Amino acid sequence: MPTFLTDLNPGWLLIIAGVAAMFIKQRTVRQAMTIIAPILGILLLATTQHGVDHLTYNALGLELSFYRVDSLNFLFGLAFLIAALLNAIYALHTDNRMQDGMATAYAGAAIAATFAGDLMTLFIFWEITAITSVFLILRAGTRASYFASLRYLGVQILSGVLLLDGIAYVWHHTGSLSLTAFTSLNEPGALIIFIAFGIKAAFPFLHNWLQDSYPKASVVGAVVLSAFTTKLAVYAFARMFPGQDELIWIGAIMTVFPVFFAVIENDLRRVLAYSTNNQVGFMICAIGVGTPLALNGAVAHAFADILFKGLLFMSMGAVLYRTGTTKANELGGLYRSMPWTTLFCLVGAISISAMPLFSAFVTKSMILSAVASTGMVVVWLMLMFASAGVLEHSGIKIPYFAFFGHDSGKRVKEAPFNMLLAMGMASFLCIAIGLPAFLPSFGYEWLYSLLPYPVEAASYQPFTLGHILAQLQLLALAVFAFILLQRLGLYPPEKPGVILDTDWLYRKVGYGAVRWMDTIWSKVGPAIAAIAGRLSSRAYDNMVATFSPRGMLSRNLFSGGMTLWTAVILALVLLVSFLTS
Amino acid sequence: MTDETPPGRDTSGRFVKRAAETVNAMSRTNDEGIHPMSKVLFGWTEAKNIGAILFWTLAILSIILVLADLVIDRHEYLHFAESIGFFGLWGFISFSFVVLMGWPLGRLLRRDENYYGDAGGPPDDIDPDLEGKPLHGPNGTHGGHH
Repeated sequence: MPTFLTDLNPGWLLIIAGVAAMFIKQRTVRQAMTIIAPILGILLLATTQHGVDHLTYNALGLELSFYRVDSLNFLFGLAFLIAALLNAIYALHTDNRMQDGMATAYAGAAIAATFAGDLMTLFIFWEITAITSVFLILRAGTRASYFASLRYLGVQILSGVLLLDGIAYVWHHTGSLSLTAFTSLNEPGALIIFIAFGIKAAFPFLHNWLQDSYPKASVVGAVVLSAFTTKLAVYAFARMFPGQDELIWIGAIMTVFPVFFAVIENDLRRVLAYSTNNQVGFMICAIGVGTPLALNGAVAHAFADILFKGLLFMSMGAVLYRTGTTKANELGGLYRSMPWTTLFCLVGAISISAMPLFSAFVTKSMILSAVASTGMVVVWLMLMFASAGVLEHSGIKIPYFAFFGHDSGKRVKEAPFNMLLAMGMASFLCIAIGLPAFLPSFGYEWLYSLLPYPVEAASYQPFTLGHILAQLQLLALAVFAFILLQRLGLYPPEKPGVILDTDWLYRKVGYGAVRWMDTIWSKVGPAIAAIAGRLSSRAYDNMVATFSPRGMLSRNLFSGGMTLWTAVILALVLLVSFLTS
Repeated sequence: MTDETPPGRDTSGRFVKRAAETVNAMSRTNDEGIHPMSKVLFGWTEAKNIGAILFWTLAILSIILVLADLVIDRHEYLHFAESIGFFGLWGFISFSFVVLMGWPLGRLLRRDENYYGDAGGPPDDIDPDLEGKPLHGPNGTHGGHH
């Protein structure tokens, strides 16, 4: 392959294709571009040499490296490219230049950031992900989505500004922009960069931009959004903060708290947003542990999550497309009209629940084993608790309330063929990477062979009788608990409403405070202006009365009096200065 | 579904035609909005007493899986996890706790849908054939939302 092609960052290819797509009116040509670009990207990535700076540039004394592939970022980039391809297929029934272009460019920016070889390049594409993705929320066209997109953009830009600030610290103190992992948060700039990454990873208390914006995005937009931003942050943490102890607890908390919100949330796309928090928590926790097994688990789980979370968002997108709602209390019984969508949703639900033979089983078990091997009992129990919680909100609640349960009476058409095709492909991959390696290098062994530590991965066996039994016990008893609680009438009914979360602080308290200040200012402001006006006019009058040609000073004294006194005072100052020097 | 292929033709042609007709029939939603594949894939969920069947199936399966701990030697990093039925018990307790916490948490945290302003409707890109699809003007038809 020509050098200029092997040196081309696949992310750049997608960005160029995305920007060009926005100017192409012919739908077929435009959509062909959005599909061909990620396929070409996968080919480029597959033929690229690892561990080499393919494209470097010296600007303003900074050595920028635009394309560097290694064992850590390879799988993230590959997953992003696959997601971009599936998303492009999923969007084929629509005809919107802005959405087609921005979705591709957004994926490209995430890929370009993943393959960045230095901090400044990472920052540039980090910001482009924020700017391109906001259009996917705006595309929904509602006032709610408009305001949500502004809040989203504000939070994302804050993350970018903090990242730049941290990079400036690093540059000032070390003179290097290399992506070398920090060993402590006390290093210059480390804490600021940590928070910048944490915002995008939706850390606890910094998380609500995700639940606020994703469910308000367009049908296609939410699917696209689910794949990139949070997983890019996971990659950034794996690159810059592996083994950072704080991440263990932050990740563990991330796995647990969304479970409680998800159980009472009525909007199923919002439930999936909480589910994203929960799954990212597993990855963050593993990065905090930092052993080869844990980092393998984090990368593998990110790869699997991009597929099964995308699949779940796709199935809810199909429901939203056909019924106009994803509110659990308005849905139910849709399997009669949308059996294929139901089937694919169930594959996603079973995959995320880590059922043996499905993807998360072979990825999450590495994380759980790695945490258990550290002897951190409480953290491990939290992750096990969260595993049961995942089954509750993503494994059961999503498919049960949308497709089964109480029949809503909605009789709609099955999802468009392109949506089914994208869901079918995602389902295939969810199963394919979860299967035992019946043939060498197939099934989970294919995924394991691409992990950052392939030797350690090869020595890890997910399909042991003990693993399978433990996971089946957890899942079977949890499902039994669901059926039991349903039969006893103890399962809380789905009710419409808004669930308060940390966004209450800025959407109610913060907004209220600003409104209050505005009201106060609207009354106090004119009063202050009037007083100031009166005072200034009085001062002016007094000055005119004193200093004007007809003023007090000119009335009785000779005209050069002021000049004389000024000269006298200056002479005194000079004299004192001379004597004291 | 009739086979109009004249006799004497190769049988594979008829087979392909019949298969195509079957696929076509299986992909068309009937007038009542029921997709034919729903019977094939999920018809079992409409069985009488499906709730009781699932309950007892899961109950028996759970018991078998817990008892399997007596036979299969699980090696765990944390030794307390090797006790019989540990994962099943933890799964049952965790799941029940999460669900039951939904009652008080719902009361504590649930507010009216328009708590932050008008909740608005579905996005613009839903099925254009959907009845009652709201129209969004340049400024949106949904009320203020901050």
